[in-house]
Amino acid sequence: MKKKLFLAGMSALLSLSLIACQSKNETSSGGETSEKKQTLEVAALESAYGKDMWTKIVDAYREVNPDVEIKLTADKNLEDVISPNMKAGNYPDVVLLATGRKMALTETLIKDKALEDLTDVLDKKVYGEEVPVKDKLVPGFTDTLATNPYNDGKTYMAPMFYSPTGLFYNAALFKEKGWEVPKTWDEMWALGDKAKAEGISLFTYPTTGYFDAFFYSLLLEAGGPEFYNKAMKYEDGIWKTPEAAKAFDIVGKLAKYTAPTTVANANDKDYTKNQQLILDNKALFMPNGTWVVGEMKDAPRAKNFEWGMTSLPALESGGDRYAFTFFEQMWIPAQAKNKDAAKDFLTFVYSDKAADIFAQSGAVQPIKGMSDKLSGENKLFYSIYDNGAKAGMGGFAATEAVEGVSMADTLFHTIDSIVTGDKTVKQWQDAVEKASDKLRAALK
Amino acid sequence: MSKTAAKRMFIFVCTVPSLILLTLFMIVPTIQVFRMSMYKWGGFSNNKEFVGFNNFKILWNDENFIRSLQNSIVLIVLVTIITMVVAILFASLLTRENMKGNSFFRIIFYIPNILSIVVIAGIFSAVYDPTTGLLNNILSLFHLDHLQKMWLGNQQIAIYSIGGALIWQAIGYYMVMYMSSMASIPESFYEASSLEGAGRIRQFFSITLPLIWHNIRTTLTFFIISTINLSFLLVQAMTGGGPDGATEVFLSYMYKQAYTNSSYGYGMAIGVVIFLFSFILSAVISQVTKRDVLEY
Repeated sequence: MKKKLFLAGMSALLSLSLIACQSKNETSSGGETSEKKQTLEVAALESAYGKDMWTKIVDAYREVNPDVEIKLTADKNLEDVISPNMKAGNYPDVVLLATGRKMALTETLIKDKALEDLTDVLDKKVYGEEVPVKDKLVPGFTDTLATNPYNDGKTYMAPMFYSPTGLFYNAALFKEKGWEVPKTWDEMWALGDKAKAEGISLFTYPTTGYFDAFFYSLLLEAGGPEFYNKAMKYEDGIWKTPEAAKAFDIVGKLAKYTAPTTVANANDKDYTKNQQLILDNKALFMPNGTWVVGEMKDAPRAKNFEWGMTSLPALESGGDRYAFTFFEQMWIPAQAKNKDAAKDFLTFVYSDKAADIFAQSGAVQPIKGMSDKLSGENKLFYSIYDNGAKAGMGGFAATEAVEGVSMADTLFHTIDSIVTGDKTVKQWQDAVEKASDKLRAALK
Repeated sequence: MSKTAAKRMFIFVCTVPSLILLTLFMIVPTIQVFRMSMYKWGGFSNNKEFVGFNNFKILWNDENFIRSLQNSIVLIVLVTIITMVVAILFASLLTRENMKGNSFFRIIFYIPNILSIVVIAGIFSAVYDPTTGLLNNILSLFHLDHLQKMWLGNQQIAIYSIGGALIWQAIGYYMVMYMSSMASIPESFYEASSLEGAGRIRQFFSITLPLIWHNIRTTLTFFIISTINLSFLLVQAMTGGGPDGATEVFLSYMYKQAYTNSSYGYGMAIGVVIFLFSFILSAVISQVTKRDVLEY
């Protein structure tokens, strides 16, 4: 009997100690920092540029600053890897993760005011160089809501890899048919009718998520930067103005020219089928970013296919044309343990050495003179601003989370319904204004 | 220590580990879900704000949630009824009739169950593809071009397309469950009834169905739980809730609110509603289908 009891007691004890061990391990791994060598945890999204450049950056930093040991986490689903630890209080020190991702981790931290103020980093000297960070950056990149989410002049996110977005097309097809790339929307519609006669659709889109840059550019064309900023700050009635109506109407008209199979494939699983329509000469234009070239590099394509990219056509001839600049951000969580070391590292990524490593993988930072160093298709894409297009930047202002209301859902996802005819442009416009009302009340 | 006391002690000590684990990993998190549903919280920071039942008030007026609830109910009802009827039919065919290749069909029907839901999503994306898809091409083969549809693009159809995939993967599993209970019905019942002149259909309704009733009741609960869970996985992997929310089910909406929209507390409120919904639905169905257990 005693033996039985003993055994049972032991098993209970063992299972308890197992649980106890678990929590002990966790706390010790988080707080561990050796006295001499500081450990800096860097978490970076492994995007289309690949993971390789990050390991090279870590090596390069080790050379210039041997006192810091970097622990790198690079993953395609970075949120899934770092957020469980963050919930447990173990924050990485530096994170490269843009806004606009599905899991919206960056947005969540913005809404919670959980990012470190980086304004002083801009005045710091680039690690190993004599220039302050702000003098290296292309002007304008730290002035928008994409880096200063609370619109208070303070920078919370450092601008990293940027990429112009626009309408992508097959340049060879245009040459072959003798078509001109349209400069105004009227020319666009005329081209749409011509292409229709040949069985080609004017337009397709990968998913409605790709309309962000597209619609922002459209708003900029319709109302200019001041109007755009008002819209981004949810000003009352802004979506009912004639300028906004123009943008809504253009998308409404574009919906009629959209390839019929687009909506059925406009999800995260099948969106490449929509991109394939461009490669197969079944559709003429799609909104996209420069990464699409790498993403579709192994896909079959029409003979002589050649990527082309144009900014959005102007509303009227001679009007402004915009190409929205999308960029990824790097930030430091307010709860990071090694903030100073993190800030040093943040200056290092703007050094010539680091910029060259990034550029080798096709990742271009907004550093002065960078675009001259590019070659091939990238040179063509990044020269879009030299050809008269204006750059648009920054998205919606940060708000508190509003339950059940999402501007991205209302403004972009509804486009699927416009194309299928389930909703009218008027309904869409009203819904956006309604969402804007609700979000305005929650502005930070 | 007396013998009974020692025995009790032994039982107690043996169950303690699992009790601890159950409390730690099931009961505490469930209570947490209920607690969190009363807070406004983004999920990360320490600023949680207690808002009482406010999340539920918002939920009541949230059209998108209502729509996802409708979609879930449509799926639960459709998948349960169609899968059950087809599975019972096939099960009785395979157990009662002496067909060639019985075990072959059994394996064929069971195969979808081995596949992971992401694979099924891949298969059905290929089946539903508007241009190269199996379904549209078969229709055009029989000159039924007017029936061709954008199976995942048409908002009126998309949710049924998801349902189709769910039914396809569920039939085999339930069929095997029904077959096992049908196999245990004594053959003499069927012999006696056929001597009395009962036909196959009469035998099915008067012998087979009443004697597997207990099994059917159990599977009804399974249907509810697995449809709720699998529809989320399938929607996540296949359409992401699109086009424009047409295939959103309540779990995917909860996920969207809790993470993408940074409203963790609100997401938990949706979780509470789903929890109560599935609990109550299972209880009601179990009560409604209660019959005396027939013994043989």
